[in-house]
Amino acid sequence: MVQDRRIVALFIGSISLLAFIIGGPLIYAVMLSFYSARSFMSEPEWAGLSNYIKVLQDPLFWNSLTNGLTIALSSIVLQVVLGVGIAMVLNKRFLGQTVARSIAILPYFLPTVVACLVAQWVLEPNYGLVKSALASIGVGMLDWSSHAFTAKGTIILVSVWLWTPFVVTCVLAGLQTIPTQLYEAARVDGAGAWTQFWHITIPGLRSVLIVVILLRGIWMFNKFDLIWLLTKGGPLNQTETLPTLAYRKSFIEYNLGGGAAVATISFLLLSGVILIYLRLFPIDDAKQGR
Amino acid sequence: MARISLQNVSKSFGGDQGPWAVNKFSLEVEDGELVVFVGPSGCGKSTTLRMIAGLDDTTSGTITIGGRDVTGLPPKDRNVAMVFQNYALYPQKSVYDNMAFGLRVRGEAKQEIDRRVRAAAASLDLESLLHRKPRQLSGGQMQRVALGRALVRDPDVFLLDEPLSNLDAKLRVKMREEIATLHARLGATMIFVTHDQVEAMTLGDRIVIMRDGLIQQAGKPLELYDRPANTFVAGFIGSPEMNLIDGQLSDASGRLEVRSGDLSVGIPEKTFARSGQNVTLGIRPEHLVISNGSPLEMTVNLVEQIGAQTYLMGTLAGHKMRAVLQRRDEIRAGDKLPIAFPSERLHLFDSTSGASLRMAQTGGKIGVMENA
Repeated sequence: MVQDRRIVALFIGSISLLAFIIGGPLIYAVMLSFYSARSFMSEPEWAGLSNYIKVLQDPLFWNSLTNGLTIALSSIVLQVVLGVGIAMVLNKRFLGQTVARSIAILPYFLPTVVACLVAQWVLEPNYGLVKSALASIGVGMLDWSSHAFTAKGTIILVSVWLWTPFVVTCVLAGLQTIPTQLYEAARVDGAGAWTQFWHITIPGLRSVLIVVILLRGIWMFNKFDLIWLLTKGGPLNQTETLPTLAYRKSFIEYNLGGGAAVATISFLLLSGVILIYLRLFPIDDAKQGR
Repeated sequence: MARISLQNVSKSFGGDQGPWAVNKFSLEVEDGELVVFVGPSGCGKSTTLRMIAGLDDTTSGTITIGGRDVTGLPPKDRNVAMVFQNYALYPQKSVYDNMAFGLRVRGEAKQEIDRRVRAAAASLDLESLLHRKPRQLSGGQMQRVALGRALVRDPDVFLLDEPLSNLDAKLRVKMREEIATLHARLGATMIFVTHDQVEAMTLGDRIVIMRDGLIQQAGKPLELYDRPANTFVAGFIGSPEMNLIDGQLSDASGRLEVRSGDLSVGIPEKTFARSGQNVTLGIRPEHLVISNGSPLEMTVNLVEQIGAQTYLMGTLAGHKMRAVLQRRDEIRAGDKLPIAFPSERLHLFDSTSGASLRMAQTGGKIGVMENA
């Protein structure tokens, strides 16, 4: 009984701590979105829904939403496709397999700021590595940061570089749970490599992929540091996403209410999408295909 | 259906120099025959089966199915079907799709697939389960689906790798009967791998006993029981195990007898053994008889009543002995029973090699491998 009580106490303690750390700021942010305030020091004034109306009427908001979705979706597709491919190669037995697996996971250990600095150094239009490489074959270098397409592309590229290893690790673990006898049964049944991939590997990775896509989706949609470090939302808001927009409104334009409104809408959108996603693809194995 | 021929098939997982998982395995399986590979784990029985399926490469030797050399061919080009120990059903596919998969992959017409799947389902009593997923099935049902998946393919050869090992005892007997019935009905060539000698005895038209990658003996079940080629086969076939007594052959008393300590047992003259040779005398527990007046006395240590029969464990002249009698209620531990060894039931083996000294050859289609 004593132990039971202790467990309950620990449980309640950790829940309240979580509620304080996560719930507190969340509620504060939502509340803030109904006020207008110029700084955290000044007295906020009740603004009702005006922050939301302003945000929803602002073309920049819709532009940021589209940018965010484009960047998140394309980088997730690339991360998953590459991640599954690399994991399948690493799952084969070959000489130096352990070394290859370690190298493949390395980028995941890089701090985002380091990765962004490296990317900028490589892609810098005047003295970067790519620039000199191109110059040596007589081709000019484009300033990637001044074109919408190349700026978005760079963000996607760096995110793929940084976070594909996460997908590789998860998928590699998932691959090892697929019984080899399924592949043997399929080989005897007459299935080639491609058929085996679609009928055994992908269904076998289903649970892993559902979680990986969900996590990567949340993280990519909320990605702030990478975009801010690489482009600060530029050129001309072409890589602005909801997180950078919320930051810009709050801390550069000193429109705390507006920033909070953007953050709240972003939070609601993401929650809605996650709910629909989990309804469509339940993680619980037992519910599949019943 | 087809005949299978294995010629000097060897398998090493460590390169051309061995160690050999399967060593110079030669066997002819007749069209429509059900051959059982049996032996302890690691004896090479499953590896041999996998080489026939094409899942493992052969290190040397040739395999032909229906007169066609398939040694280098991938599994899909051998027209074999395989049933695995853990069923290997595709977990995300329904029973119907599991059975249809092999046909779809081969590009069969939709109506033909449907016809064959339903026919197989009907013969295996799976019709009501066709829409279910494997996880919603019991072990026995999963095994029937695995059989059905093999059945719809109409293969030349059925390969079954310990298909009953994951089932409980009752279900195992039932499925064993179903497989026997299926074999009788289809007249298909089947190879069945098991470590269970009862399965081997009851199912096989012929049994191949393996140990350490070598065939120990191949023959009809009762041939193996009656004339085991060596002590390993003698111990493996039959339950409880054959009694084996190490001794020396002597003709000092004017007749040939095996002496071991205080024990001496006269043996028939039909043997290659010479006087003075170290031999192992074998007699099955069920062949020992109680015979009043016999000078051999067994002290009973343990009595097991299993219903129709009474199992006895005891000692006879310092040797541990097992005896199986028709039901005897009155025997108790501590009793002393006069025991006789009927000479026509005796087996004699060379102590060093373990090879039988009683006969020249087995009744099977291949000779006995010399036991290394």
